[in-house]
Amino acid sequence: MDVAQDLAEYAAKHANNVLERDVPIEVDAGLLAAFDNTPVDEAAYADLNPHLLSLTLTSTASLLASLFTLPRAHAQSSTSTGTGPTATLPPPKTLLPREKALPKPKQPTKWERFAKEKGISHRTKDKKEWDEERGEWVSRWGMGGKNREGEEQWLHEVKNRDDADLDPASTLRAARKARVTKNLKQQSANTNRAINANASTDPAIEKARADKVSSRTKRKSEIDRTLLITGTATASMGRFDKKLEGEPKVKGVKRKFEANELPSGGGGAKEERERQMGVLKRVERGEGKKVRKGGEGREGDVNARKAVRYEGKQQRARQKK
Amino acid sequence: MRPLTEEETKAVFEKLANYIGKNLVHLIDRDEDDAYCFRLNRDRVYYLPLNMLHHATSIARPNLVSIGTCFGKFSKTGKFKLGITSLDWLAKYAKYKVWVKQPGELPFLYGNHVVKAHLGRITEDTPEHQGVVVYNMSDVPLGFGVTARSTLDTRKLDPSGIIVFHQADVGEFLRDEETMF
Repeated sequence: MDVAQDLAEYAAKHANNVLERDVPIEVDAGLLAAFDNTPVDEAAYADLNPHLLSLTLTSTASLLASLFTLPRAHAQSSTSTGTGPTATLPPPKTLLPREKALPKPKQPTKWERFAKEKGISHRTKDKKEWDEERGEWVSRWGMGGKNREGEEQWLHEVKNRDDADLDPASTLRAARKARVTKNLKQQSANTNRAINANASTDPAIEKARADKVSSRTKRKSEIDRTLLITGTATASMGRFDKKLEGEPKVKGVKRKFEANELPSGGGGAKEERERQMGVLKRVERGEGKKVRKGGEGREGDVNARKAVRYEGKQQRARQKK
Repeated sequence: MRPLTEEETKAVFEKLANYIGKNLVHLIDRDEDDAYCFRLNRDRVYYLPLNMLHHATSIARPNLVSIGTCFGKFSKTGKFKLGITSLDWLAKYAKYKVWVKQPGELPFLYGNHVVKAHLGRITEDTPEHQGVVVYNMSDVPLGFGVTARSTLDTRKLDPSGIIVFHQADVGEFLRDEETMF
């Protein structure tokens, strides 16, 4: 079936609708787009809506016409899917601009910069290493790694000048752990350096970013706080509740006390005594102590309320007589 | 073992001041070579000489049963309760004293209040609700308590009226032996 002829007939029939363009319409079938590059005719724009409709029709017609010239997929396979004949679109001709900005190049680490300066070429180490004694490939690090060979051996050689209580295994382990922490530190320093290098020089942008971060941390801390409060709102104060994974541990305020042992020389004892004398003075002044009405209970004071009552009683007794 | 915090010190001093008043200074402000200190171990307050403190610091908390003189203990609500073990120091500096007659000794040592019939002597001008140390007639301290009436008011009281509310007595050394220190 050749539709092109039908289409031509249709075009002839509706010839009055399809416009004649000076520059032929460019079609990019890959993007399903048609471009009408003919300069604008001002007079035609007087009757705007029908003109625009006919312009659209012209472009669409040429796009559709171009679609039917495309190679078609095998008829049988297309009918089996029940979609009818299909055409494969060619790759787009028009280059579209990128949606997002190009990613910034990765900042070199301090070592990479140093290596480049010195002309040291990169050499990738294998993850596995050949073990002569065992006669097999062993991993450089991790489980059964070669890097903890020294600390896991059954016999340690101790040098004459070493301390009597030296534990070679733990010393080696500590050294390895120190290397790990050092590397972590360097890693974080490298990331910080990269962040700073990529940071925008515009203070307004930087401020907006910082504000966003601070508001996020503020909101996060608020949520954490709410979670903490609601967590204790059960009969057991949240003690027997199921903990979520990664739920932060609640850290209370630790009590702090003075040192038990007083430093020799009497300075500590004197300090403690002075502290206690201060407390004693406050106790003697009766600070913080509830004083009952009328000075009752205070040393050397007359309980006025009681005295008045007593005197009244005495007078009444005398009158009766 | 640790020194008392300020609040704890205040609670202890307020209680002690009720019995020995201004003499409390003599417990704190002592000679350099005879210095004492207050220490807290497992809710109990101890009063001990400094050199004893130096010896005791090397003993682990759970192993330390007692050091120096136990003055009393803190309740779970933070109130301080004087114990009978503090009697030696209280008797030494007591401001107000009550002496009980020989027939009144045993009732007091069994934990009863001091009634007027048993009252031998009392310090003059003792106010109401004042902490007092109770002695027998031969000046041996038996315990301490709080006056129910002032000295003046005791005169009008009938013989079965209570003069001193019992708080602690040396009979506790036998009765509450296991929880004493």
